[in-house]
Amino acid sequence: MTTRPRSLARVGTRSLAVLTALLNASCAFGMQEGATKQGEATFRLWQAFMLAAIPVALIVYLLIAWCLVRYRRRAGDDPQALGRQFRERWSVEIAYTSIPILIVVGLFVLATRTGSTVDAVAAEPDLRVNVEAYAWGWRFAYPEQGVEVVSQPSGEGVPGPVMVLPRGATVRIVLTSNDVIHSFWVPGFLYKHDAIPGRTFEFDLTPTRPGTYDGECAEFCGLNHAYMTFSVHVVGEDEFEAWVARNRTVGAA
Amino acid sequence: MTTTAGRVVPSPEPAPPAHRLGPVERLTSTDHKNIGVLYCVTAFLFFLVGGALAGVIRLELAEPGRILANETYNGLFTIHGTVMIFLFVAPFGAGLANYFVPLQIGAPDMAFPRLNLLSYWFFAGGGALILLSGFASAGGGAAMGWTAYPPLSGLAHSPGVGPDLWILGLAMVAVSSLMTAVNLLTTVFLMRTAAMTMWRLPIFTWNMVVVAILGLVAFPPAVAGLSLLLIDRRLGGHAFDPLGGGDPAIYQHLFWFLGHPEVYILILPFFGVITEIIPVFSRKPLFGYTGFVMATVAIGALSVGVWAHHMFVTGVVDNPFFAAMTLLIAVPTGVKFFNWTGSMWGGRIWFTTPMLFAIGFLLNFLIGGVTGILLAAPALDYQLSDSYFVVAHFHYTMVGGAVFGIFAAIYFWFPKVTGAMLREKLGRIVFGLLFVGFNVTFWPQFVLGQRGLPRRYVDYPPDVGFDAPNLVSSLGYVVMAAGVIAFLVDVWISLRTRVPAGDDPWGGYSLEWATTSPPPEQNFVSMPPIRSERPAFDLRHPEARP
Amino acid sequence: MRTATKLLIGLSVFGVTVGTVYWFVTYEWTGSVLLWSFSLTPLIVALFALKHGWMRAAEPEDDPSASSATLAGEDLGAFPTATAWPEFLVLGVIATGASLIYGLIMLVVGVPLLAWAVIGLARESRS
Repeated sequence: MTTRPRSLARVGTRSLAVLTALLNASCAFGMQEGATKQGEATFRLWQAFMLAAIPVALIVYLLIAWCLVRYRRRAGDDPQALGRQFRERWSVEIAYTSIPILIVVGLFVLATRTGSTVDAVAAEPDLRVNVEAYAWGWRFAYPEQGVEVVSQPSGEGVPGPVMVLPRGATVRIVLTSNDVIHSFWVPGFLYKHDAIPGRTFEFDLTPTRPGTYDGECAEFCGLNHAYMTFSVHVVGEDEFEAWVARNRTVGAA
Repeated sequence: MTTTAGRVVPSPEPAPPAHRLGPVERLTSTDHKNIGVLYCVTAFLFFLVGGALAGVIRLELAEPGRILANETYNGLFTIHGTVMIFLFVAPFGAGLANYFVPLQIGAPDMAFPRLNLLSYWFFAGGGALILLSGFASAGGGAAMGWTAYPPLSGLAHSPGVGPDLWILGLAMVAVSSLMTAVNLLTTVFLMRTAAMTMWRLPIFTWNMVVVAILGLVAFPPAVAGLSLLLIDRRLGGHAFDPLGGGDPAIYQHLFWFLGHPEVYILILPFFGVITEIIPVFSRKPLFGYTGFVMATVAIGALSVGVWAHHMFVTGVVDNPFFAAMTLLIAVPTGVKFFNWTGSMWGGRIWFTTPMLFAIGFLLNFLIGGVTGILLAAPALDYQLSDSYFVVAHFHYTMVGGAVFGIFAAIYFWFPKVTGAMLREKLGRIVFGLLFVGFNVTFWPQFVLGQRGLPRRYVDYPPDVGFDAPNLVSSLGYVVMAAGVIAFLVDVWISLRTRVPAGDDPWGGYSLEWATTSPPPEQNFVSMPPIRSERPAFDLRHPEARP
Repeated sequence: MRTATKLLIGLSVFGVTVGTVYWFVTYEWTGSVLLWSFSLTPLIVALFALKHGWMRAAEPEDDPSASSATLAGEDLGAFPTATAWPEFLVLGVIATGASLIYGLIMLVVGVPLLAWAVIGLARESRS
């Protein structure tokens, strides 16, 4: 027995189910898969947008190609001959205005939902890391664990500081800058945020996969902007505790 | 070989002989045609400078390992961006408008000819200051990026006079644009010929009307932001200094409130150019004129409300509002693509060089536009912002779009301005080199962004996936440069050999094709009746009149 | 003239609307002020247009069936042909602006040059 969805909510739910199935089946379109909970949501959004964008682009390209081939002036045609002289076709114009509006509304809904997921901050994070960006390095402070990691003076070939995070923990990053605007970017997490002097930003990252993820400064900050790298090392909880114990410099808060 | 597709309209009196202007006359004449040529030639010279800077940048990035000093590299991309945006694309559009808007509306000149010349000199003077700011300033050239965000652009982090000269130069260019905007609007509103209603204006002129309004609205806040920056630097201000109670984010608001409409100021003239070209070379009227005009106005209006999509990763703005506005602006842009396609549908397409560039524009700009939609989602922007993905996106719209539009305009209107044809065969080679070179240069940059290379990096670590795309991109530059050189050769040969163009080599639609090439000083000796948006066409084809 | 006036009024209304929506969505001052100011520019021109009767005007350029004979012989006044003042005015602006960078001494050069050029250009416009 088939039931036709009558309410809008059911239509919405079913569309979302279809979309999720489609996303699971489709490829990454060049995007890295996010290694955090938030990054996974971003990755899905990317896939959804590409699934919308590619067919639209293909249709437009095909229409253009069709015109160029079908309606080209051929050798032997009278050079003075005119094409068809129509100026309007209101039904077509209304269609190609309203369909994009619908697509765009759908994209907005998806984008806002993912935005809420990515921007959401937990009431009680498992771990706090204060990140201070400066020209040209980083300072990572774990206030509750009493650990501080500071960059060596940056330069060509100098490795950046390492932020160690336990897998599965909700990490609250508290980000600021000491001098100019920098940006904290971990491409493997599909996330960046600007570090603006005079302001503090808090966001959550929940790493899901162990590994080492490169980090970069992504807001032009002067001479050594390209060398202000860091990395994030996501490890199991035990390894994290061991690392904390080795590196504790001050008494725990 | 000359193909004359239209009959020459006999004028009741012979047109006065074309008067070749001497150098002093060229610099002081207030004739809109002369000022238009001044703008376009000066802008193209700036293009060559900006292009050379791009070459050095691509040379540095072709392989990992640094050749240049960091400071030098930072200055290179700062001046490259500033020159290309404010000293090439925008003034070239202004130059085209100066030359062709009065012609297209049947006016003898712009409304304020002296102001027009003053506007050119503000542009030239400001441009000179900007070049000086990059290269010839004691204590440090301008090297803070063309966006000049404080605190980096403040005195503490950018000492030296370079940034100050840059600010002054940019302010002068802004004043130039404001003057041109006033001039254009007054001219179009008040100096149209009889029966040239607003709804019969050629699309190029309509687009310039919207560009002018955008300029009037958007430049003042930017000049305010730049003035505050200068006051912070030189007069003890703290507008953007958090230690003094200021906020760097406010600069970004002021800057991008211009910055985003600016990119529409950059592209709309060239939307207009290809909308002139596509119907002519399809032998059809523009499809959906009314919808096109409304879409242009919509783009202009909406463009003022999207600025903070450049600030999604700052955490300072309401991301969903700007996501909504940015996604919305995709709609009228998409409408235009259907207008252009509809204008080819059922036509008899003649693949001249201007048409090739117009088609190249369509193919390239589509990618630029679609990637813009991807960037409109804040969550996606968190990954893609400030990376080479964005660099690729804006080069697809600005180079693949606007610069291709510039070449289309040159190949289309060169016969009208000079009376001589450019060479078709060489034109195809220019197009081929530019189209292939452009895509080879900038497509790999999408890949670089996806792989995590931030923008404005002097160097990158080897063997992490950045090497091959960078090398390919740099090779693409060489092909593009070859295309530009071929173009310069084309211009040189064409001016030497002077194959006469006649009044109307293409079978054009708008009024500039109903007068001589080049037009006489007062533009028209006789005026055809205006009964549609295609008066020159109607003159040749009374049987096809609506 | 009517189309132009409607365009300007429309843009002004749009600016006020978006600015107000923006204010109530974000309560963010900078953007709201910028958007409301966006509505002011076309409004100023629109008010001028209304005051000068653009909505009632019956100019030949707005008459779809006018012939160019309507305008034939109309005296548009003299159009200027050449002027050298803009170059000097711009040099004056540069010198004056450079005083912020290189010191007040630049004003000694800049202000007289600028004043001379402005006065020259203005007087030439009147003649």
